[in-house]
Amino acid sequence: MPGLSSGQRGGRAGGRLQRCLGLTTTPPPPCVQPCCRPLCYEQSERRLHKSLQMKMEEMSLSGLDNSKLEAIAQEIYADLVEDSCLGFCFEVHRAVKCGYFFLDDTDPDSMKDFEIVDQPGLDIFGQVFNQWKSKECVCPNCSRSIAASRFAPHLEKCLGMGRNSSRIANRRIANSNNMNKSESDQEDNDDINDNDWSYGSEKKAKKRKSDKLWYLPFQNPNSPRRSKSLKHKNGELSNSDPFKYNNSTGISYETLGPEELRSLLTTQCGVISEHTKKMCTRSLRCPQHTDEQRRTVRIYFLGPSAVLPEVESSLDNDSFDMTDSQALISRLQWDGSSDLSPSDSGSSKTSENQGWGLGTNSSESRKTKKKKSHLSLVGTASGLGSNKKKKPKPPAPPTPSIYDDIN
Amino acid sequence: MCKDYVYDKDIEQIAKEEQGEALKLQASTSTEVSHQQCSVPGLGEKFPTWETTKPELELLGHNPRRRRITSSFTIGLRGLINLGNTCFMNCIVQALTHTPILRDFFLSDRHRCEMPSPELCLVCEMSSLFRELYSGNPSPHVPYKLLHLVWIHARHLAGYRQQDAHEFLIAALDVLHRHCKGDDVGKAANNPNHCNCIIDQIFTGGLQSDVTCQACHGVSTTIDPCWDISLDLPGSCTSFWPMSPGRESSVNGESHIPGITTLTDCLRRFTRPEHLGSSAKIKCGSCQSYQESTKQLTMNKLPVVACFHFKRFEHSAKQRRKITTYISFPLELDMTPFMASSKESRINGQLQLPTNSGNNENKYSLFAVVNHQGTLESGHYTSFIRHHKDQWFKCDDAVITKASIKDVLDSEGYLLFYHKQVLEHESEKVKEMNTQAY
Repeated sequence: MPGLSSGQRGGRAGGRLQRCLGLTTTPPPPCVQPCCRPLCYEQSERRLHKSLQMKMEEMSLSGLDNSKLEAIAQEIYADLVEDSCLGFCFEVHRAVKCGYFFLDDTDPDSMKDFEIVDQPGLDIFGQVFNQWKSKECVCPNCSRSIAASRFAPHLEKCLGMGRNSSRIANRRIANSNNMNKSESDQEDNDDINDNDWSYGSEKKAKKRKSDKLWYLPFQNPNSPRRSKSLKHKNGELSNSDPFKYNNSTGISYETLGPEELRSLLTTQCGVISEHTKKMCTRSLRCPQHTDEQRRTVRIYFLGPSAVLPEVESSLDNDSFDMTDSQALISRLQWDGSSDLSPSDSGSSKTSENQGWGLGTNSSESRKTKKKKSHLSLVGTASGLGSNKKKKPKPPAPPTPSIYDDIN
Repeated sequence: MCKDYVYDKDIEQIAKEEQGEALKLQASTSTEVSHQQCSVPGLGEKFPTWETTKPELELLGHNPRRRRITSSFTIGLRGLINLGNTCFMNCIVQALTHTPILRDFFLSDRHRCEMPSPELCLVCEMSSLFRELYSGNPSPHVPYKLLHLVWIHARHLAGYRQQDAHEFLIAALDVLHRHCKGDDVGKAANNPNHCNCIIDQIFTGGLQSDVTCQACHGVSTTIDPCWDISLDLPGSCTSFWPMSPGRESSVNGESHIPGITTLTDCLRRFTRPEHLGSSAKIKCGSCQSYQESTKQLTMNKLPVVACFHFKRFEHSAKQRRKITTYISFPLELDMTPFMASSKESRINGQLQLPTNSGNNENKYSLFAVVNHQGTLESGHYTSFIRHHKDQWFKCDDAVITKASIKDVLDSEGYLLFYHKQVLEHESEKVKEMNTQAY
């Protein structure tokens, strides 16, 4: 309360009380400068309270009769009401003066847009259920536009985490490593190549649009395609062998020098295919060609003294267990971070009853986060390699251990 | 002289400062600050109302259309598209974005990113997620960036398959906590063992484990940080729980029907003294011998947001199944009987009922429930979210519908999120000041 009025006001209220009680008092000092309304307001309230207290102590109330007490009470009440009203007026005045009085106004039209709807068949925005099939998003990895409801499976393949992605990646590497001169468009159609588990499905695979392959849901581990390949476990090819039955991956031998040829022939089948005129890159025990053919090739290239490398079972004994591959392929594991955080301790990790919800084949191994079988994008599980017997490594470029299969 | 009242900014500023000083002095000189006094706002620190500055006034003048958020508004609610078996993620996102204290943190833009590459920061993504969900846009949001980031930072979760919501919650909190480095506020910023990021401030509680040696009664205590409490359910094979719940009267106002297990029953069981058998003798530190012991878990420090997880998915040697027993849970929960400080009253196994309801420190309100329908192998997650104090909404991926409190309390319950009713501030001079959370 600025100016002289505060002094008057405070004095007025206090004065009336004092007149009731028959006291005289000095008027409170006036506030000369404009100051905060709340400050003075509280001050006057406190002054009132204090003078009342003082007065009550001095006088004994029994000396007054009821009507006088009533009058006093009424006066005090009126003063308090007056103070509050004045306080409110000052608030409004201040708001107007400082310019924020009208800020609270709302716009009823735009408010209506946001009313909650509560009707059956509609959601709270008044929309019908299940109309969001066409939502799309952009993959942060490959920048393609993907349907939102299929984003998760796409991302899995895109990041190389899916069951088939490691195979695709391995094949890509194998292609680029061993066939520098071969056509590069083999590598681009990974989706197509990925699908030919069985020998004759090549044509079918080529016809398929590559996009469709990305959206295959849960691959059934017992699919017929898989089981066919398992039959060939016989010490050589595993599921992840990229060179399986695809004749188009071969090596054109014209461009290779004698040394390279020799080293190639110690590790690969090498039989020259009639239609592609390329050397077969499969293992030395590849079922498509006979030993006779292989011998012929070697004699052709290396002279009559060339011999077929040893292909007994002592070599290249692929003790690749089915369980391993299932474990690897159906559930990829990475090492989690090893920071001690609340997620590692406490009640959420009690031993037995770790509840996992859904869709996991087995949870026990997942608890042990330090599982050995890592799968990386580029290479392959060391678990695969660890079961193999060591054999003399060919002087080939350093490749992940999966290439032991091909030897 | 215009003979009008004028308001001078500088004088007001001086007055405010002086007032603040005066109040602080008042608070520090009073030695016995009773609880009642503390609840009066203004003692120790005055929180003024917001007043506009000149540039703000201009800005507001240019934009006259205003909306006020009332309780019948959809602002704050938005569906989330299922990206392919990501219903578990959508439920957790709904729960986190409707955590009042977290919402306040992100909507007031309090995150300062210190990651080397901000596009990989999960906290920044959370921030943008809050903006999206509170934008008022009725069409559902596509959280593909969030999924991508989570898969990058929490590799064990990556992969297109159905997953567990609880596991996702813990992993998400972990990544958020790791990425919050820039937001260390407060005095503990320099202490590596005691992170003061927003996630820790909100979610981290202290679980106290006391092992009592039977011979010498020496107690060895450890306190572990925890983000949630996982509760065994009756009828599970791996934990022995006699099926006779509800001997004692309902503590928390749960709908108490004999035969129905309540959340309080589960908590009681969680914090009971457990006798470790003779096969699990441990070496006692005080009497230096191998003795049998009892172990008891209690809460040492209560988090602002308490998450309860019912262990419904059982993986034992015998079988893998989902326990679908209905557990009744309350809207309001008092955690006082389960605190470490209430332990003495539990020695005989009798639960001390909270006598003084005036103590608001340990009272919680339910604000989110995540439910699972289906079997262990495949199912679907939905959630119930509390919005505007008394309104509940069911969030089923992209579809949000209104729900009643009865719907919520009758649901099976898998993850329950409770928020403290009264939050405490710690200012330099005054220890306790209370503000309302809702």
